Amino acid sequence: MGIRSLFRSSWFVASVTAAALTVSACGGSSSGGVGVVPPPPPPPPTLPPPSNGNQPYSDPTAYSSARSASLASAVEAAAITRHQITLRGNTIDYTATTGHLTARNATGGAEEASFFYVAYTIDNQNAATRPVTFFYNGGPGSATVWLHLGSFGPKRLVTGDPSTNGVTPFPLVDNDETLLDTTDLVFVDAIGAGYSEAIAPNTNQTFWGVDQDARVFRDFVVRYLTVNNRLASPKFLFGESYGTTRSAVLANLLETAGIQLSGVVLQSSVLNYNSNCGVVNVVLSCSGYLPSYGATGAYFNLAVPAPTDLLVFEQQLRDFTVNTYAPADLVFLTNRTLPATSVLNQLQGFTGIPVSLWSTNFNLGPGTFQSQLRPGQLIGRYDGRVSAPVGSPLASQGDPSSTFITGQFVAAINSYLVSFLQYGNGSTYVLLGTAINTWDFSHDRNQLPDTIPDLAAALAQNPVLKVLAVNGYHDLATPFYQTEVDLARLGNLPNVSVRNYAGGHMTYLDDTSRPLERADLTVFYQSALVVQ
Amino acid sequence: MRPLTLRLHLLVPALALVLPILAQAQSVDPTGPIQTELRDPSVPRALRNVKPAPATQGAALQAQVERKLRESFDAADVAGAGALTREQAQAAGLGVVAKNFDRIDIAGTGKVTFEDVKRYLRSRGAKF
Repeated sequence: MGIRSLFRSSWFVASVTAAALTVSACGGSSSGGVGVVPPPPPPPPTLPPPSNGNQPYSDPTAYSSARSASLASAVEAAAITRHQITLRGNTIDYTATTGHLTARNATGGAEEASFFYVAYTIDNQNAATRPVTFFYNGGPGSATVWLHLGSFGPKRLVTGDPSTNGVTPFPLVDNDETLLDTTDLVFVDAIGAGYSEAIAPNTNQTFWGVDQDARVFRDFVVRYLTVNNRLASPKFLFGESYGTTRSAVLANLLETAGIQLSGVVLQSSVLNYNSNCGVVNVVLSCSGYLPSYGATGAYFNLAVPAPTDLLVFEQQLRDFTVNTYAPADLVFLTNRTLPATSVLNQLQGFTGIPVSLWSTNFNLGPGTFQSQLRPGQLIGRYDGRVSAPVGSPLASQGDPSSTFITGQFVAAINSYLVSFLQYGNGSTYVLLGTAINTWDFSHDRNQLPDTIPDLAAALAQNPVLKVLAVNGYHDLATPFYQTEVDLARLGNLPNVSVRNYAGGHMTYLDDTSRPLERADLTVFYQSALVVQ
Repeated sequence: MRPLTLRLHLLVPALALVLPILAQAQSVDPTGPIQTELRDPSVPRALRNVKPAPATQGAALQAQVERKLRESFDAADVAGAGALTREQAQAAGLGVVAKNFDRIDIAGTGKVTFEDVKRYLRSRGAKF
C-alpha cells in the first residue's frame, strides 16, 4: 500500500499557528559566556507550600539563551506535583515532573547540556508496556510551548482559532483530547530555548546545528529513559515544524544507538529544506503550495466553482498540480514562458488569485499569496484562514495567525510553570531564542537539510518503526502536499502514513480537527504497539 | 467524510523531478514578499540562495542510506580494522550492532563487518 491520506473537511472551523516569537531573549538575566562571571541569579517567584504530595522546586540557577552562554555545572532536580483529570468518565491520577536532566556524551559520558522538561506520567504503570513520547517544537530555537499548552497535554489553552475574537486571556482547561491515557508525555526544550542551556566548556552555540542538536537530543532521551527506568518502554517522538527535521535525524541516531523507537509523529513537516520554496527564496518551484492555496481560497469563498467537499477539491488540486501546474511551472522557470490562458483561468478558479497576478507571478510564492488573496487584508502564514487588515496590529508582524496567539501563550506558560507545575525560576523562559541566526543548517553533505534519507535510514534499521505525518490544509508555512511529495520519496511503505485536517500549522488548535487528530493518533499508537 | 486512499508514490517520479528545479536568477517578487524572519521554517539570508540538493528516491536514496549506515559503522571502527566486536560496537555507541550481535555474526567469529550488518538489515526488510 502506498501512503494513505485521509482527508477531512470542515470549512468553517479552524486552527492556528505555530511557532515563533521572541520573548526578550535574555531578559536581563543572562549568564555570561565561558570565563565570564555571571550576574547573581534573579529571585525566583514565590511558590505554593508543599502539600498533598507536591514538591515545589525553587530553582536558583540563572539560565541564558545567549549564543555564548553556558552553565558552569548543572543539577538534576525537579518539582513534582500530583493532579487528576477525568477523561470520558475515567478519573486519571497523574504526576507532573518539571525540571532539568543532564545530557551526557554517548561514549565518554561528559556532561553536555542541561535540558528543561515537563513530564506527565501516570503512576503504577507497567514500564515495559506504557509508552513514553517526547514532544518538541521547532524554530530552530523555539521552546516547546505550542505543543505543551496547545495540543495533547493534560491542559490546553482555548484559542478560538481561527477566530481572533475569542476570549482573552485564553482560558486554560483540562484537555479532553490529551494523549495521557495512551502515553506518558515529555515536553522538552531545545538548548537555548525555555530553560535549557549548555554546560561548559560547551556553549549554547555548540548545539545549534542540525546534527549537533539531534545528537544532544539523543543523549537527553537516553538520560530520561535511564533515570526513569523506561528503557524498555515503547518510545515515540512527536516533533513539529523544524521539530520534524530534528525527528528524522534523531530517529536515525536513536536507532543506531540501539534505542528502538515504536513511532514518529511528524506535525507540519519540513523534512526537506531544499523543496520548500517559502524557505529558500523563489528559485524553487512553488507548485507544492498550490493545493494549500486552493484550500485557503475556498475558505474565503474565492474558488469558482465553489467546491462542496474539501476532500474532493483537494484531490482535484493534487491532480491539477501534478498533471498541469507543476509541468507548466517547470517550463516557466526554465524559459519564462507562460502556459495557455486556459491554465491561468483554471488557476484563478482553483485559488481566487486573478489571472492577472498569475500572469506576472506564475511561480506564486506563499508570501505573495498571503498579501494578494484578499485586497487590503493580510492572511496568516501559519494559518491561511486568519485574516487581518493591512496596517492593523495583528498584521504588523507579517503573520496575523501567529501574532494573535503568541502573547497569550507567553503569558500562560509563565504562570503555568509557577502555579500548576510549582517550578520557580527567576530567569526569563525564552520562547524563541536567536539560535536560527547562527544555526548550522548543513547536513549530510548538503548546505540545507534533506532528512528523508535519515528517515529512510531509521526505517532500514528498524523495519517496524511507524511514521505518521499530520498536516493542516490551510498551513502556508509547511504545505501538506509538499510533505506528501517529500515522503513519497520513501517509496511504497505500509508503515508511513499521512493525515490532513482543516487547519493551519497547528491543526490541534482547531476545535473540530483536534478530536479528529487525537482519534487518528490513538489508532496510530495502537498499531505501533501491536507490532512490538 | 469519506476517506480517500492515495498512492502517492505513483506521483513521485513526476514531481520529484519538477519541484526542485532551479531557475536562472529568479526575480524578486514584485508584490513584495512578506518578511518571515525567524519564523519556522526559515533560514538566514545567506543560505537562501544556495543550490538546492536533488530530491533522491529509489536506488539513489537507498545508496544514501547505505552510505550513512556505513559511515556510522566506520566511525565506530576507530581501529580501522573493518570489523567490530560486540564490545567495540557497544563502546562506540553503535547499539544497533551490539544489541543484535549474535544475529549479525551468523558465522560466530566474534567480529562483524559492515557487510554482515547490511545482510542482517536486509534480511529484516531494509531496502538498501
